[in-house]
Amino acid sequence: MTTASRIPPDRGLTLRMFSTGLMLVVLYGAVVGLLIAFGISYVAVLVIAAILLFCQYWFSDKIALFGMGGRIVTPEQAPQLHGVIDRLCALADMKKPRVAIADTDVPNAFATGRSPNSAVVCATAGLMRRLDEPELEAVLAHELSHVAHRDVAVMTIASFLGVVAGLITRIMFWTGMMGGFGGGNNNSNDGGDNAALVELAVLAVSVVVYAISFLLTRALSRYRELAADRSGALLTGQPSALASALVKITGEMSRIPTRDLRSAEAFNAFFFTPAISSKGGVSLSTIFSTHPSLEKRLDQLAKIEAELGSPA
Amino acid sequence: MGLLNTIMGRTKPVQANLDALFGIPSAAITLQSAAGMTLSGRAGVCYKPPTGQGFGDMQAEVMKLLDMEGDCKLRTAEDKFGYHWVVVENPDIESLVTQIHLINSSLSDSGWGPQLLCSVFGVATLPDGGPPSDAGAPPGPTTVLTSTGFLVYLFKRGTFYPFVPDGPEHRNTEQELKLKSLVANDLAIEADLDRWFPLWELPVG
Repeated sequence: MTTASRIPPDRGLTLRMFSTGLMLVVLYGAVVGLLIAFGISYVAVLVIAAILLFCQYWFSDKIALFGMGGRIVTPEQAPQLHGVIDRLCALADMKKPRVAIADTDVPNAFATGRSPNSAVVCATAGLMRRLDEPELEAVLAHELSHVAHRDVAVMTIASFLGVVAGLITRIMFWTGMMGGFGGGNNNSNDGGDNAALVELAVLAVSVVVYAISFLLTRALSRYRELAADRSGALLTGQPSALASALVKITGEMSRIPTRDLRSAEAFNAFFFTPAISSKGGVSLSTIFSTHPSLEKRLDQLAKIEAELGSPA
Repeated sequence: MGLLNTIMGRTKPVQANLDALFGIPSAAITLQSAAGMTLSGRAGVCYKPPTGQGFGDMQAEVMKLLDMEGDCKLRTAEDKFGYHWVVVENPDIESLVTQIHLINSSLSDSGWGPQLLCSVFGVATLPDGGPPSDAGAPPGPTTVLTSTGFLVYLFKRGTFYPFVPDGPEHRNTEQELKLKSLVANDLAIEADLDRWFPLWELPVG
């Protein structure tokens, strides 16, 4: 790299993302430490969670495509879509992902796959119908940035702790309901009480851990979205096209009745804009959502637009 | 660096690699002596124009610079994917390559290297069907010919690949592979066939 990029890196975003990741790691360490301190062997739980997430990670492309009803298309079937992606990949010097189309009218796009080699970029029929050429290109550049940033892998690893905590909570509840807390009948009464206390403590800790890791992964997801917006806009050099696509899609998304979209909710983390938009309770809904607010995304794009426009 | 960028969700814009362009004249000689083909004298640079006045100014400046050289015909075009093309016509292959290089280096020197997509050189069959008797003559046609095939230069990879369209949205793979084997010693050929993407309706002609 001899020539520096014209666009300065967004240090604020980097810092926020780094601190969120750091908090996740700290939380992870604390949980492992607690497990050891309690002297409880949750190896089985960890293994189950690892297997679950590994499957989700390994088959992410198939799961997401199946869930959305997307099908892989060849260049002959969708020459225009392939043409846009071909060019973007050549610009970004990345391997071309597989291309899929989902026959749904919900205007959206997602990228999935564990690595750039097995990545799939999927656009819905509704998206291609509503957006014009530059807007579609901008959305695809955003999705390709997700692939380049390996966001599926990052988010899978980040959500590991949440899944573990959720599993422990559920197992605790389940064993508690079945036999009552500390219902080891062959133990003495004394030991049973102790075990009950320990189990209650573990339950409490895992609920707290679950809540914190949930918030942290959501925050991380929002930062990854902003990062993908940024890289995508820099790739095409047209931040305004992405902004207008966002406005168009977000407007359409909230106009469509929520009930029809329930089936899409589970995939929100991989979507371009979330299928269900929350209007009320701004402060609370923003920390729970997987995507940053439209305002924030547009602000960032406007800033990039200004940077690109300034003379050298 | 790669891992750090993954964790931080960043991609570095890829800068263009321009040096391999100068392999073109020797490829032209090989084409002429081995297959009775030549470069058509038409070439184009394709880039994604970013938003803003800064880029527009630079583009105008480059066009003025090329106009001053005088010995070539210049044309600009926009394709249906929103990419800009500067098409140069010049039967003298050496100076054609220099002019294409000038456009490219002006763009990348002013920081727009990441916007460069590819450069395309037209390939044509010599009208008399064979190499000229005068072996000392510079390679290339005496007049600009109509291109039947193309050599596409991928800036970000520093590699070339052949593209021979025959008919709407159909490419002649056999001719492409033949072209590839002809120039393989002179030019770095893109090894990953996935990246030989088609450029339908390219305005180089």
